[in-house]
Amino acid sequence: MFLHYKFVLILRALWFLAQIALFGLIVNRMVKEEVQVVTGGNYFYFYAAGIVVTLLYSMTVFIGYDIYEEADHGVTEYLLSLPVSRRELVLGRAIGGGLRSFLYVAPLMFVVLLLIGITDPFRILIALTALFLFAFGVAGMSITLAMSIKSHDRFDILLGVLNAFIVRLSTTMYPVAFMPPQYAAMAQFNPLTFAADIFRWGAGLEAVLLTSPFVSVFGIVVFFSVFTFLGIVFYEKRLEGGGWR
Amino acid sequence: MFYSLDRVSGEGNSLAIIRTFDLTKKFGEFTAVDHLNLSIEEGEIFGLLGPNGAGKTTTLLMLTTVIKPTEGTAYVGEYDITKEPDKARRLVGMAFQEPKLMWVMTPWDVLNWHAKVCGLSSSERKQRVKWALTELGLWEDRHKSVHTFSGGMRKRVEVAKILIQRPKIAIVDEPTTQIDIVGKHRIWNMIRALRDEGSTIILATNELYEADILSDRVAIMHRGKLLVCDSPKKLKDSIVGGDLIELVLEKEAAENTVEELKKIEKVVDVLAIKPNHLRIYLNHAEEVLPQITELFMKARLPIRSIRMSEPSLDDVFAHYTGLTIEEAEKQ
Repeated sequence: MFLHYKFVLILRALWFLAQIALFGLIVNRMVKEEVQVVTGGNYFYFYAAGIVVTLLYSMTVFIGYDIYEEADHGVTEYLLSLPVSRRELVLGRAIGGGLRSFLYVAPLMFVVLLLIGITDPFRILIALTALFLFAFGVAGMSITLAMSIKSHDRFDILLGVLNAFIVRLSTTMYPVAFMPPQYAAMAQFNPLTFAADIFRWGAGLEAVLLTSPFVSVFGIVVFFSVFTFLGIVFYEKRLEGGGWR
Repeated sequence: MFYSLDRVSGEGNSLAIIRTFDLTKKFGEFTAVDHLNLSIEEGEIFGLLGPNGAGKTTTLLMLTTVIKPTEGTAYVGEYDITKEPDKARRLVGMAFQEPKLMWVMTPWDVLNWHAKVCGLSSSERKQRVKWALTELGLWEDRHKSVHTFSGGMRKRVEVAKILIQRPKIAIVDEPTTQIDIVGKHRIWNMIRALRDEGSTIILATNELYEADILSDRVAIMHRGKLLVCDSPKKLKDSIVGGDLIELVLEKEAAENTVEELKKIEKVVDVLAIKPNHLRIYLNHAEEVLPQITELFMKARLPIRSIRMSEPSLDDVFAHYTGLTIEEAEKQ
């Protein structure tokens, strides 16, 4: 089960290495001194922490594809017949999906933390817990979208568009100081911003934060709660009516 | 809405563990299950019989709360499936028509995961999974990928889920399709054992022989509707003149003997194939046969051979629908 997406996993790891070792290092040499200052003295670290969150996000949304695969293979009926409540089922899916991608990304996350240097283990623990919840929330969001769109192709296109906006309108790749004010306003409500900023806080890159750790954790908890609730509602409405058929 | 028990088909409702009340499911304009009223008693093997497309699987999916009824409801135990689906679901386990093997690779993993979700403890899980795999002849292949298995082997893995779960109500949908005759007998025995341990079994099948030998009662469905529901014996007896006795005599039967034969209660018709070869259509052949032999003894007509046959559930289906199962499936 864990290695169900072996191929995806290998490609994502290669993508991550390219982003860090090629793109990250080259862009780091291109950016002006003022950018380095705003990003806490080293844009590369700022970028590396952000790319980990991007990877965690893109790995977790994959659970939506599982939903379509399960419907195609008739596994949906089996899951719905199990002696567990719908709430337990969706929570289990969200937690399972979140945990799976968290474990996929964990080695790369560890590499980045080693690069930046771990200053405060307690902070790291809080940040990782928040990223856990973030991954569960993304899984819940992906389940909700998969439940609300019947076509696999449409889901695929929607995810592509959503990724383009949600990643670029966040602080994962660039600091808020260089964003136009309208973009910065939107970025501060973006769950990827919360996740990237809490990870940077955990790693000790405090000077560059858009949001405080408290706001980030609160934002992630709200994000997780809303999409878990929506996931349950959509599961109930769509699947029990036979709508996946 | 109040549902009256009077409308439910079944012998008695006092021990009913499942009761459906005008249970209906529509997919757009198509009515898959049409106002189904039936009652299933605790501890029985209840056969749900009908051709493909009769509405059997849709009925089972509603009872397992996988899909919601469009109209009507059903009680599983004391729980209304539309109001307390979570509680109803906990009483039911289902082995599906098409094996649901998920993303896990080996039979051991599939069954262990299923047992875990059903709340079995670690030691109980290991014990039951081992037992089921051994009984179904899958122990040697327990660590092989299920994706390399034949249809019959996959089906056995699916059936094993229910044997491990041992739910209060076990639903098995076409449990022996694609399985060889030895495997069929093995599964039939395990279904009986499951019943003997206290589970109520709902067996959906289009294999009439399977329904006949396993079921205490059978409900026949056609085009989403319940045609008839009773024990296989009573269903067969409900066909007037459905039993058949063929007699070959040592010499010709006299006309008055044939007439006397026709006068015996439960004899419906007598046909002389040849002067010494009679075909008798009747009910309850086993009860009437002594009277028939006595009549020929009195008439000093020695009997060379007797062949007796009763109607099958095929005949019952044909009697109520005017179609064979094969014809009904083509429709």
